Amino acid sequence: MAECVGGSSHTMDKSITLPPDQIFRNLENAKRFAIDIGGSLTKLAYYSTVQHKVAKVRSFDHTAKLYEISMQEEVTARLHFIKFENAYIETCLDFIKDHLVNTETKVIKATGGGAHKFKELIEKKLGLKVDKEDEMTCLIKGCNFVLKNIPHEAFVYARHADSEFRFQTTNPDIFPYLLVNIGSGVSIVKVESEDKFERIGGSSIGGGTFWGLGALLTKTKRFDELLQLASKGQHTNVDMLVKDIYGGSYGCLGLTGDLIASSFGKSATADTDFCKEDMAKSLLHMISNDIGQLACLYAKLHGLSRVYFGGFFIRGHPVTMHTITYSINFFTKGEVQALFLRHEGYLGAIGAFLKGAEEDNPNQYSWGENYAGSSGLMSVSPEMNPLQRARSGTFDMLEMDRLERQLVNLPLLQDPSSYIPDTMDLTEDAPAREYWLYCFEEALDGVVKRAVASQPDPQEAATRAEKFCQKYRHKLQTLRHQPFAYGSLTVRSLLDTREHCLNEFNFPDPYSKIKQRENDSALKYFQKAVKALEQLSWEDRQFALVRGVLAGNVFDWGAKAVSDVLESDPEFGFEEAKRQLEVRPWLVDCFDRWLERLKGPPHKCALFFVDNSGVDIILGVMPFVRELLSRGTEVVLASNSGPALNDVTNGELQILTERIAAMDPVIRSGLKEDRLTLVQSGSSSPCLDLSRLDKVLAMVVRERQTDLVIIEGMGRAIHTNYHAMLSCESLKMAVLKNSWLADRLGGKLFSVVFKYEVPAGKC
Amino acid sequence: MAECVGGSSHTMDKSITLPPDQIFRNLENAKRFAIDIGGSLTKLAYYSTVQHKVAKVRSFDHTAKEAPSDKLYEISMQEEVTARLHFIKFENAYIETCLDFIKDHLVNTETKVIKATGGGLIVCCPLHGRGCNFVLKNIPHEAFVYARHADSEFRFQTTNPDIFPYLLVNIGSGVSIVKVESEDKFERIGGSSIGGGTFWGLGALLTKTKRFDELLQLASKGQHTNVDMLVKDIYGGSYGCLGLTGDLIASSFGKSATADTDFCKEDMAKSLLHMISNDIGQLACLYAKLHGLSRVYFGGFFIRGHPVTMHTITYSINFFTKGEVQALFLRHEGYLGAIGAFLKGAEEDNPNQYSWGENYAGSSGLMSVSPEMNPLQRARSGTFDMLEMDRLERQLVNLPLLQDPSSYIPDTMDLTEDAPAREYWLYCFEEALDGVVKRAVASQPDPQEAATRAEKFCQKYRHKLQTLRHQPL
Repeated sequence: MAECVGGSSHTMDKSITLPPDQIFRNLENAKRFAIDIGGSLTKLAYYSTVQHKVAKVRSFDHTAKLYEISMQEEVTARLHFIKFENAYIETCLDFIKDHLVNTETKVIKATGGGAHKFKELIEKKLGLKVDKEDEMTCLIKGCNFVLKNIPHEAFVYARHADSEFRFQTTNPDIFPYLLVNIGSGVSIVKVESEDKFERIGGSSIGGGTFWGLGALLTKTKRFDELLQLASKGQHTNVDMLVKDIYGGSYGCLGLTGDLIASSFGKSATADTDFCKEDMAKSLLHMISNDIGQLACLYAKLHGLSRVYFGGFFIRGHPVTMHTITYSINFFTKGEVQALFLRHEGYLGAIGAFLKGAEEDNPNQYSWGENYAGSSGLMSVSPEMNPLQRARSGTFDMLEMDRLERQLVNLPLLQDPSSYIPDTMDLTEDAPAREYWLYCFEEALDGVVKRAVASQPDPQEAATRAEKFCQKYRHKLQTLRHQPFAYGSLTVRSLLDTREHCLNEFNFPDPYSKIKQRENDSALKYFQKAVKALEQLSWEDRQFALVRGVLAGNVFDWGAKAVSDVLESDPEFGFEEAKRQLEVRPWLVDCFDRWLERLKGPPHKCALFFVDNSGVDIILGVMPFVRELLSRGTEVVLASNSGPALNDVTNGELQILTERIAAMDPVIRSGLKEDRLTLVQSGSSSPCLDLSRLDKVLAMVVRERQTDLVIIEGMGRAIHTNYHAMLSCESLKMAVLKNSWLADRLGGKLFSVVFKYEVPAGKC
Repeated sequence: MAECVGGSSHTMDKSITLPPDQIFRNLENAKRFAIDIGGSLTKLAYYSTVQHKVAKVRSFDHTAKEAPSDKLYEISMQEEVTARLHFIKFENAYIETCLDFIKDHLVNTETKVIKATGGGLIVCCPLHGRGCNFVLKNIPHEAFVYARHADSEFRFQTTNPDIFPYLLVNIGSGVSIVKVESEDKFERIGGSSIGGGTFWGLGALLTKTKRFDELLQLASKGQHTNVDMLVKDIYGGSYGCLGLTGDLIASSFGKSATADTDFCKEDMAKSLLHMISNDIGQLACLYAKLHGLSRVYFGGFFIRGHPVTMHTITYSINFFTKGEVQALFLRHEGYLGAIGAFLKGAEEDNPNQYSWGENYAGSSGLMSVSPEMNPLQRARSGTFDMLEMDRLERQLVNLPLLQDPSSYIPDTMDLTEDAPAREYWLYCFEEALDGVVKRAVASQPDPQEAATRAEKFCQKYRHKLQTLRHQPL
């Protein structure tokens, strides 16, 4: 039950390889410290605030420009978690002491088996009172927190599969579950709600048994070495198998010949000496199988299907994850899955922190993993890169940002528990991964250039941009080797990581000026475009509106093929874009059915996830919205809360809509009568995760009885949500502005996807 | 999961101490042989018939020409043939001698086949189930609860005619957990590779002690707290919020992970024994709960007559089920495979249609298992052990008027638990023996010949009484 990791300090370099200020970041404002000291690893947690620049837009009263962009300092909350070897504890405490300036903290929450051992040291060094928290309570609190806030937290381990890890999608409904913590012993805990858990079982045969018996049998004193031995051994030399007794399988009881009949059964009678590797392997199998069986029995007895495994026996060790997974599969015939957690090692520290931070109500907010500040999961195949593992095991960081808004599911998801936002899992699809990593690396120079251009002082900005460039390139390299570092690798996670890194170096909105320019110029054509549409017959107009949205969507700086054209030919016009569009029939073409539908009764309310600034929103989306309003359909426009590429943000859209309202009576009355509503999505990503949306949006969607969801653009309708099933009608519109992706989908550059779907039973 | 008892042949005398004809009795008419050969013990079963005298009474016929007697009826001695099952257990070392003896004495049999089993529970879990059903139904005090420090080590369970369903946990090299639902319906619902073979195998590696019995001996002298990490070793006391007492083992062998000291053999053996017994106990409880079973019988060589293992298993079951499930052991557990194999071969004789009774005269009985109590006796009588069962003329059932058949206990006084009463009655029966002998001789037509037989009876019964004085069970 105590956490005791093999004393790896023997072999590892004692010097801290990273400068401490890159590890213990934002210490100046740190407060609410918590520490979890295990047998060999210390996990430190603190709450701090980060000051960074944000681009704000403000409407002018009567000037030529649409709005003004100003950079403002904003303070947001961030959680820092750092894991390091106990050997560094004194150095680390000294560093913290020296840099802790503004804190009023008097207490440090502590948990873990080693907490009492280092109590005096901590109190002396930091001058903080050590306040011990219950280990199991902390563990469970931490577990609930990561399961709720980190989308790809849990994974299934498959050693020989294409990707080692298969990440589970977030299910907002995390309870009840079984947590099997394998420390020295085993604790089996049923977790029923945030505060209700019960230790329903346990076993004394755990990690300590593997370590203890292993040490006695092999004279190898180190836990990691024992695992290393085990991974090389042949258990069949020590174990008595069914076939050793019966000469083959024992069919009548359904036992295969290879099944272990008796662990260490051969050593009872044989007079030979057994090799260390074989004994270690046999021991590992014995313990893993036993725990697996117990976990299954408890899961069945309590009707639980989700079983998470944690503790130092598991932590990042492929051999133990493999044997536990094997055992669970064997005993439940696949009914129960063995799940592991990416941040399993942090659970105690997170829980202790949450205990101390209760007055800040951390559980009332949504938190997001900051990819820029977190180390990510490492490959656990020891043969793959043992050096890397040993080195990066030294310091590991997890940072989580408090999100402005609380995030929830879109209420219109058909099955929230099976919803997967991403269309392509680059972790499992090697060619796709290669392509996109290459693509993002290629685009990096352009991103840097625009980032610098967005800043007032180009000289100073260049230095920051260089740092950003280094960091993001390093992340891309890491992801090339460890695609699973932050959960499933997807186009979305690559884009999000880039945004996090940009923010990290105070480039909050590199496209702000481009967006401003485009919005200004597009607005000038709005009335002309509307007039042209009004002259068309009803049927022609419906087609023209769809083409307008599609053509507008070609204006996208996020797609390399387009940003090349945009940059070389700024006069690339709306009409030109329309001509570039694929002629019907499109790659995915449901237009006829959509037209038929429009001949019927109007929708009650449409939720429209918009994409880019400029031509897209003003000349494509707004006329479409206008038509919906004219039909008597209420419209909810959902735009990003924060900037991402040239996507229109909620702040910008507010100003834009007011301007359009000033010249267009339909939009004006829509706003006035509250039939046109602007909401923020809660996201700052060019993609869309319908399971993490602003709570207000979800509320509005429910209140308005939304019966149509429109998703526009490659990022939101192709990279993500292409396969998303909604419980109401949906329209997914995008132009494929990437030839590789177009090729994948069987089309070509500028192919059109117009996907209109009606859920079964509502036709 | 093969059955492998410690190779006791090393220390035990190879000569057969009892004359073979006292062991393999009634071989002349034996048929339907079955043999269960384990790792160190062989169990032989056969069906035979016994010819013995019965006293018959016959009413006088009024038409008889002789002068009518004043007696109510006539007594005559007749020879009667009844069926008897013989089960003999002996060490594998004697197998050749025994087979020779059987060969020489097997005269009338028409048997062509011998049913063989062995290799432990996996193979014969149906057979064990069958054997288990047989003894539970036919031997009233077959099952018992083990309580080491209680007045009587064993608390026998009364027969419940309704023996199904139950869980049979056979701990051989590995563990098989079998759910027995009816005479013929068994299912292996679980198992574990951590069993007797693991105790023996790991024990041998850790202590360099190669013999199973010696390992148990070591274990009974050890202190597991020197090797195991207890809850209090981690938390300094109990872990109240989770309801864990300080003495609970948190991690088996947890202390040997970091300590640099050498551990003594006894302590390691004890820790190993606890680890395995607790694990099996927990698994058995979980399976029992999952399948709604309250009776769990334990068998296999890991259990067989070893107080240390019975104690730790019992302790573990009590701990995990808080008394809801009882760990039950069987007096004739070692014979289950042989009985099952025999029953399988004897199906045409329909042995299950009859009631059978243990013949106390021909059966060795259960031995005290406290090793400190009488190790010599144990070693010796381990050599040959016999169980004989007579087929009863009539099939026996419950009186339908019993209020609660499952709690009915015929005997008013349990002499096992009541020491003064036991003393008194044993003395009483011994005192009465001379009178019984006298009357027995008088009942026979030939007093000379009867006197010899009476002497044998007297010896045997006196011996039984002495045995019962030491082993009231």
